[in-house]
Amino acid sequence: MIRITDFSFRYREGAVPAVSGANLSIGRGEFVGVTGAAGSGKSTLTYALNGIVPHCYPGDFYGSVEVDGMDTCEAALTDVSRVVGSVCQDVESQFVTSVVEDEVLYGLENFAVPRGEIESRLTRALADMGIADLRERAIASLSGGQKQKVAIASVLALRPQALVLDEPTAELDPASSQNVFDLLARYARQHGTAVVVVEQKIALLARYADTLVIMEEGRIRFADAPAAVLAHDGELARIGVSCPRATALVNRLRAAGVCGGRTARTVREACDVVKEAAA
Amino acid sequence: MSAFLEYVPGDSLLHRLNPVAKLGAAALFAVACFCSGSFVFLAVLLAAGFALAASCGMVRQTFGLARAVLAFSLILAVVQLLTTPAGAQLVPLPWGFIGTGSLLAALTTVVRLVAAAIPLFLVFYVTKLNDLTNAAVKVLHVPYRYAFAFTSTVRFIPVFMNDMKGIMEAQTARGVQFDTGGVVKKARLMVPLCVPLLVSSVRKTNSAAIAAEVRGFNLRTSASGYKEYPLTPRDAAALLACALLVVAAVALGVLG
Repeated sequence: MIRITDFSFRYREGAVPAVSGANLSIGRGEFVGVTGAAGSGKSTLTYALNGIVPHCYPGDFYGSVEVDGMDTCEAALTDVSRVVGSVCQDVESQFVTSVVEDEVLYGLENFAVPRGEIESRLTRALADMGIADLRERAIASLSGGQKQKVAIASVLALRPQALVLDEPTAELDPASSQNVFDLLARYARQHGTAVVVVEQKIALLARYADTLVIMEEGRIRFADAPAAVLAHDGELARIGVSCPRATALVNRLRAAGVCGGRTARTVREACDVVKEAAA
Repeated sequence: MSAFLEYVPGDSLLHRLNPVAKLGAAALFAVACFCSGSFVFLAVLLAAGFALAASCGMVRQTFGLARAVLAFSLILAVVQLLTTPAGAQLVPLPWGFIGTGSLLAALTTVVRLVAAAIPLFLVFYVTKLNDLTNAAVKVLHVPYRYAFAFTSTVRFIPVFMNDMKGIMEAQTARGVQFDTGGVVKKARLMVPLCVPLLVSSVRKTNSAAIAAEVRGFNLRTSASGYKEYPLTPRDAAALLACALLVVAAVALGVLG
């Protein structure tokens, strides 16, 4: 679905490339989590997927990024947008209307979704995000978390083949964050949509992602199953990525020879590992 | 009224009118105000404006607007008072006098500006901004780019006001005293804050433009809008009533 080949990008005003030599392949229905320290190139990587670079931020683009066989550099941004749905980091400035209903309608209207489908898609997207009761509300009157849900709903309604979300839970409480990840994971499975999420909450990524990508100074340092990536907790700490506490605990126990085997991604998995070691 | 130009929900007649009809009627109402020099006629229009505000539950907000317009129109009124010597002399001036006619002219100016502003003010609060622009695109065939630019401008005003407030609060926390001294001092303190505001404004508008583009902004046509905005007999009646006000204002001017 998505193929990134030797991708490098340097912003016009940047001295060094924001992303260098990135290679990544993402299949349909795959949930990919991207994390890394600030300035490691996470957002630029997502901008390459949805065509924002080089179409909106010019610079030196090397390699290729293909989504559903379409080169995001060659194709027009509008054509890329038909396939890739995007939720930006700053949701506040993403809104183009002032009422929730109109915000979700905006993309549906522009992409000429048949009139008969619009209402059902609108209702479904709002219900999926748990904000059906906010339909008539002014966006300015919503909390940060509610705004983030509106931004995601407005993209889900478009039913894109690939979803790219830059810190979609930054302003959500833990329960809401988990709900959003639940929804995204379910959405990826049900619709065969490739979902790429940039997120700092590594515990959530570890739990939900099929592939965890760690960025370091513009390069993809790790891209593997979360358990395999999290086994490198020392190296992750060195590059500014903290492992979930449950993972760190089990890794230490393993290093001390208390237990062996697999890496724990969640508290439940850590409990199982410790129980097995104690038995 | 929670924010600047933020839609106030309701089910009044004004709420239910077609957005284009509302805008057209408000414009005609304003034209009628500017076509008439009759103080009585303008007072009637002012009363009609407040009645309209009462019908959609916005009397308090409308008084707020009237106060704001009053402050501005007082400047014009004073100029008129000092430069229109008419009627029985009340106060002699080196270059003329202030007379009863001057007072009436000044008062008429104030009433005219307030009366003209009220319907336009109400239209923006009882109509969703999106409905207003979509209707303008669908019914009046205004190019969507211009309609979008207008919507974005209005929508960003409270955002930028919030940004400015945030910057001022940050500066206040660092010891800048915006609440002491006169207007000049306050203005001098605020000028440097325009730079961060400008930077954040450019960034926000750029993000909004990108967000619109990745959701098919360039594909939008006048037929894209999901909602329809048909003109009904009620809309025609509102437009006709306001057109008659213009005719009455002109007729009064000619006859008077």
